[in-house]
Amino acid sequence: MKKLLITLNVNGRDVEFACAPNQTLLDALRLDLRLTGSKRGCDDSSCGACTVEIDGEPMLACTLLAAACEGQRILTVEGIAEHGALAAIQKAYGEWGGAQCGFCTPGFMIAVHSLLEQNPDPSEEEIRAALSGNLCRCTGYNQMYQAVKAAIEAEKAGRRAL
Amino acid sequence: MNEFSVIGKPVALVDSAGKTTGQGKYTDDLSMPGMLIGKILHSPLPHARIVGIDASRALALDGVVAVAVGADAPNKYGILPVGHDETALAVDKVRYVGDNVACVVAESEAIAEKALELVDVRYEPLPAWFDPEDSMRAETDLLHEQRPHNIEKEYHHAFGDPAAGFAQADTVIEGRYIANEVTHAAMEPHSTLAAFEIDPQTGRPGRLTVWSSTQVPYYLQHKLSIVLEMPMSQIRVIKPLVGGGFGGKSEVIPLEIIAAVAAREARAPVKITYTREEVFWAHRGRPRTIVDLKTGVTRDGKITAVAAKVIQDGGAYCSYGVVTILYAGALLGGALYQIPNFQYDGYRVLTNKPACGAMRGHGTVNVRFAFEAQLDEAAQRIGMDPVEIRRRNLLVPPCVTVNGLRVGSYGLPECIARVAERSGWSERKGKLPRGRGLGIACSHYVSGAANSIIRSDMPHSTVNIKIDRDGGVVVYTGASDIGQGSDTMVAQIAAETLGCSLGRVRVVAADTDLTPIDIGSYSSRVTFMNGNATLRAAQAVKRQIAEAAAKRMNSTPEDVIMRGDRVWNHGAYGDEGPGAVEETATIAASGRVEGQILRGSVQQKRAEECPKDRMTFEEAVVAAIDFHGALGGSGSYAPPVEARGGHYKGSGVGPSPAYSYSAQVAEVSVDEETGVVTVHKIWAAHDCGRALNPVAVEGQVIGSVWMGLGQALEEELVWKDGLLMNPGLLEYRSPSAAESPEIECIIVESVDPEGPFGAKEASEGSLAAAIPAIANAIHDAVGIRLREAPFTPERVLAALRAQRPEAKKVRLAGNVDPARPATFREHGGSLCHGGRGPARHPLDPAVRRKSAAGSASKREDDAR
Amino acid sequence: MSLPEFQLRRPKTLAEAVSLLAQTDGIVQVIAGGTDLIPSMRQRLFAPSELVDLRGVTELRGIRQSAEGLEIGALTPLAEIDRNEIIRRDYPVLAEAAHAVASPVLRNMGTIGGNICLDTRCLWYNQSLAWRKSCGYCIKKDGDLCHVAPGGTECWAVFAGDTPPALLVLDAEIEIAGCDATRRVRLADFYTNQGDTRMKLGSREILTRVFLPRSTRGWRGAYRKLRVRGSIDYPLAGVAVALRMRNGVVENAKAAITALNPAPLLVSGIEEQLAGKTLTAVLAETVGALAANTARPLTTSALTPEYRREMVRVMAKRALVEVASCGSR
Ligand SMILES: Cc1cc2nc3c(=O)[nH]c(=O)nc-3n(C[C@H](O)[C@H](O)[C@H](O)COP(=O)(O)OP(=O)(O)OC[C@H]3O[C@@H](n4cnc5c(N)ncnc54)[C@H](O)[C@@H]3O)c2cc1C
Ligand code: SF4
Ligand code: FES
Ligand code: FES
Repeated sequence: MKKLLITLNVNGRDVEFACAPNQTLLDALRLDLRLTGSKRGCDDSSCGACTVEIDGEPMLACTLLAAACEGQRILTVEGIAEHGALAAIQKAYGEWGGAQCGFCTPGFMIAVHSLLEQNPDPSEEEIRAALSGNLCRCTGYNQMYQAVKAAIEAEKAGRRAL
Repeated sequence: MNEFSVIGKPVALVDSAGKTTGQGKYTDDLSMPGMLIGKILHSPLPHARIVGIDASRALALDGVVAVAVGADAPNKYGILPVGHDETALAVDKVRYVGDNVACVVAESEAIAEKALELVDVRYEPLPAWFDPEDSMRAETDLLHEQRPHNIEKEYHHAFGDPAAGFAQADTVIEGRYIANEVTHAAMEPHSTLAAFEIDPQTGRPGRLTVWSSTQVPYYLQHKLSIVLEMPMSQIRVIKPLVGGGFGGKSEVIPLEIIAAVAAREARAPVKITYTREEVFWAHRGRPRTIVDLKTGVTRDGKITAVAAKVIQDGGAYCSYGVVTILYAGALLGGALYQIPNFQYDGYRVLTNKPACGAMRGHGTVNVRFAFEAQLDEAAQRIGMDPVEIRRRNLLVPPCVTVNGLRVGSYGLPECIARVAERSGWSERKGKLPRGRGLGIACSHYVSGAANSIIRSDMPHSTVNIKIDRDGGVVVYTGASDIGQGSDTMVAQIAAETLGCSLGRVRVVAADTDLTPIDIGSYSSRVTFMNGNATLRAAQAVKRQIAEAAAKRMNSTPEDVIMRGDRVWNHGAYGDEGPGAVEETATIAASGRVEGQILRGSVQQKRAEECPKDRMTFEEAVVAAIDFHGALGGSGSYAPPVEARGGHYKGSGVGPSPAYSYSAQVAEVSVDEETGVVTVHKIWAAHDCGRALNPVAVEGQVIGSVWMGLGQALEEELVWKDGLLMNPGLLEYRSPSAAESPEIECIIVESVDPEGPFGAKEASEGSLAAAIPAIANAIHDAVGIRLREAPFTPERVLAALRAQRPEAKKVRLAGNVDPARPATFREHGGSLCHGGRGPARHPLDPAVRRKSAAGSASKREDDAR
Repeated sequence: MSLPEFQLRRPKTLAEAVSLLAQTDGIVQVIAGGTDLIPSMRQRLFAPSELVDLRGVTELRGIRQSAEGLEIGALTPLAEIDRNEIIRRDYPVLAEAAHAVASPVLRNMGTIGGNICLDTRCLWYNQSLAWRKSCGYCIKKDGDLCHVAPGGTECWAVFAGDTPPALLVLDAEIEIAGCDATRRVRLADFYTNQGDTRMKLGSREILTRVFLPRSTRGWRGAYRKLRVRGSIDYPLAGVAVALRMRNGVVENAKAAITALNPAPLLVSGIEEQLAGKTLTAVLAETVGALAANTARPLTTSALTPEYRREMVRVMAKRALVEVASCGSR
């Protein structure tokens, strides 16, 4: 099968590479770009471990064709940290036990990141809804809510300090 | 001042940044130059003899490097020494749909998948056994010739005098309980990367390194050595980050062996990562279980006797089966309540389904569901509050139970009191409107099995600590962190013991070349056993440092206090140590010196100038190196002989140096028109001895209660004649955030005399109680007793309708009455219509019973 | 699991897309959000030689008010429909149904067109190639027997999309563009009610737009979905009801069901039962019974068919009572 030469914009950087038409975005990220942060948890588009942001909306990298994402902005978990330091949500997930084994965490980082971009002060219900497309098998989600709330508080405090 | 400076405080897991940034590496994230991809061909038949395998068409495909088959590595292995019944790839027979037949190694996943289609396997189908009670009657076509009636193992235990016990009872309750099969569904699918190194002496493939998503690196090393016929010393197993295990990675999973065999055949590094479907086929989860339970109680709520017959549908291989069936008996009868007379008949049965093994709450969960639900019924019969009946049957520790379990610390009474209080039990129970209810249940679990799988007197855990003149503490531990936070636990214990900050400690874990043996992350043993080994190693180092510091301080080692990166003479500064201002100044200064690995004049001068009565941590370390030469320490842990159990057949499983305890109250509401159960909240009090890291303990407790909730309401493997109808995360329903309730964790600290700083397990003990707590709450809400789990809406509605004689009779729950289940429910539909289905079906025992011998030859043809 | 090999086409306009479809001679399929097609291709349920990706056809995306009502581009993501103020106000049953689909992340990807054209589902069918080999395949794909209705020659795979029942009760029409012509059909006439053929859409045709008529604008409505999990799950049964009321009297009403038959189906007789009456518990029961009688659940899905049928009755009844008693719109 002939490969296509494509350019993807990942975490603010353009990368050019040869890609088979049937390659998923997840495989392109993990195998070609060596960005292994996005995880593969299932084969039926149902777990959310591969969630990335496409033009600001969370989507499943395992269910997108890489070549079809040309021209779109792709954000992966590797792009969440700010200036080499943990973003508030990353720090909070660590402190509040939001990540145990951590395999689902990249997907949640993206889901929460998008939520807070679109709605900086979500209600408990909105947080729960925003997380409901990602499966976690370790935490029972409870501590994640605390982490998200802590991150929101930290962000607010940070903004006040500015 | 707080008794401790590091433990008891919530800290982020030491590896959490790697997880939240995506930088942390799990096995499938690894790759190496020249690495090939392996894909496994699985059996389409539940039971068949392999007549021949022809891989030539696959090998002819461009990009295919090798095809491994059973004959390439025929040695048998199994996690238990008594259960060596697996081979890397099937040698003569396949025993379940999904059994491993061949492994294709190719340059890419896509090529390997294509090649799988080109491996030609000829099978001769055999009659298959799907229902354990059917299977137990088998005379022919056994799964394993050495197991008559397809019974892997049976045990018959009687403790006390069960008959007399039942005679004393005022009321005896009997019932059959059925728990359907559930699986770990860890988010990370299993993955293994195996690579051989060229031996410089022989020039041929020599040492093997295996990176694998495992909870038990040392068992993997051991089994690899058996199958590959290599000395263990030539095999290195490294555990990268593991994306959850829950028992599913606590034994050697076929791909781990197959990857190594494939790497040997392909002469190149090979990585195999399971698809999600393959994870379901590899399974090793909680077997579907029949529990025939009988409990006798007196009018004043005392349990006089318990008798249980337990049948576990173990699937095609032994796996942990013998242990599972023993745990079920040991923990049903012992260490939770006072049960004076106890009879247990346990059967572990082989069937043509994927093997079951260990899963969180190993062995206890399904029997605990039955028992706690029945106890609730008993309380109702004698008109006693469910909390009260549990209080009436508490143990009086320290004690040894009738089945030989030694119980020391026992926080159950407090757990019960705390959940009752937090949930408003006495004010609210029985007073909620119809449709809403409260239920209570208790559970417990071992803090590590007192006897290892391979019985010996060797330590179960050993830990080494190295400190060099940089003042950095490196802990080498075999403990396998699978997300539960054991690396953090080890770091905390080392830091607390050595009186240094957590950031100073680096943990090197689970690498058989670097770290001393720890038998693995299972049976909730790590905090207790590896924690104790770490404690001892750290104490050994601390002694050396204290000795040297004492010399400098003209004091005695006992008078040297080490805390918060400071070392001081108790005689001079008392408990609190030097003032806080001084302290920061010293640390800042020492930080600079620390950076230069100078062990020369500068530091020595400083040391001399420094007031004699206090030092920084690194000054003390340097002093110790000066004094002793090398600085390092080891510690190990083996459970005490008194905790290792009784002397009957099967007594080795169940004993533990300490037990964790849990009491839970669930609040539910039931929609009587739809049968939908909503869990509003669960209060879970867990006695973990001491919470070394409260946030981690809460996470473990909440996680296990939540997993119990999944088994209670949503999760079940749905079978049709050995075919798994829901091998994926879409149809196997692990709860989503949308319906996962709030779980309030209440930590109870009984401070175990033998646990590290008093700690016991926290990750498993709470799972089991969730299921009966919900069952009992459903009863409280709407008056039905469900004896089949999970309590899916159809089952709940079926039971509700059965209560109302005027309701229209509809078989809402299929052929099994969830209030009185007799047998397992299978998915509807048909696999074998008109003989046109797969050949195995006319041979199914069920079908054979109806139709007399068919045309055997035709069946064989059909199978091809 | 990798995807089968195909050529990928990425048209930018509808005209380009249509002509691409016309030109190719292999097996061609269109892909929108891919949330149904990609997992199915992994399972080798489809192996097109060419895939025409519609994501770049911006003209197929968006919600517009027009003289005849509302027009929704087929490529409009479900999340957008769920959020859209006009739809929430004028066609609330559709917003509710869109909101019930899968999970937030899948609603960002999945489109309304894909939801309408969703493949039918069955536990014996939505499985990997290896799995299906093990069960001997079935009529819908690669085989000649049905495991669900043994002995039959028909496929009973269920249509399990959430929005079509809502669209049916709103009397929606769809526009289909082919190489030669563009046609417009009532959604109610689009489905075949057969599990294997499922809909009247040629492989070289594109669903372009969905029209919601003015006649049903402002109808109150509700969508009820049976699922085990609160998120992610496909419906195991679904009921949409919509009605217009005046002064407490029902003027017009419709109900439709999904995830029970090989097509989403309007429940017949609802209007006759309700028009000109005030809603009573007895009437609601009757409507529930009508809905249940339309359902033909089989073992294609999780939970027992008997239970799923029972839930249609309960959900229809409840949805109706809720709609009739809520607010004044
Ligand atoms: C885990 C999971 C859960 C899900 N749960 C639900 C659920 O609860 N409810 C539900 O309704 N759906 C569910 N879905 C299915 C799916 O996400 C939605 O139905 C979605 O709307 C499909 O749209 P799509 O654009 O992704 O379709 P695609 O996958 O792109 O296409 C689906 C089919 O429609 C055809 N098609 C798509 N667009 C057009 C067009 N414009 N013209 C012609 N043909 C077209 C394609 O050729 C294909 O055959 C679920 C999917 C997953 C993976
Ligand atoms: S209904 Fe029958 S033919 Fe259709 S997909 Fe299911 S098993 Fe196959
Ligand atoms: S890997 Fe599970 S949804 Fe993408
Ligand atoms: S932290 Fe392990 S799956 Fe979420």
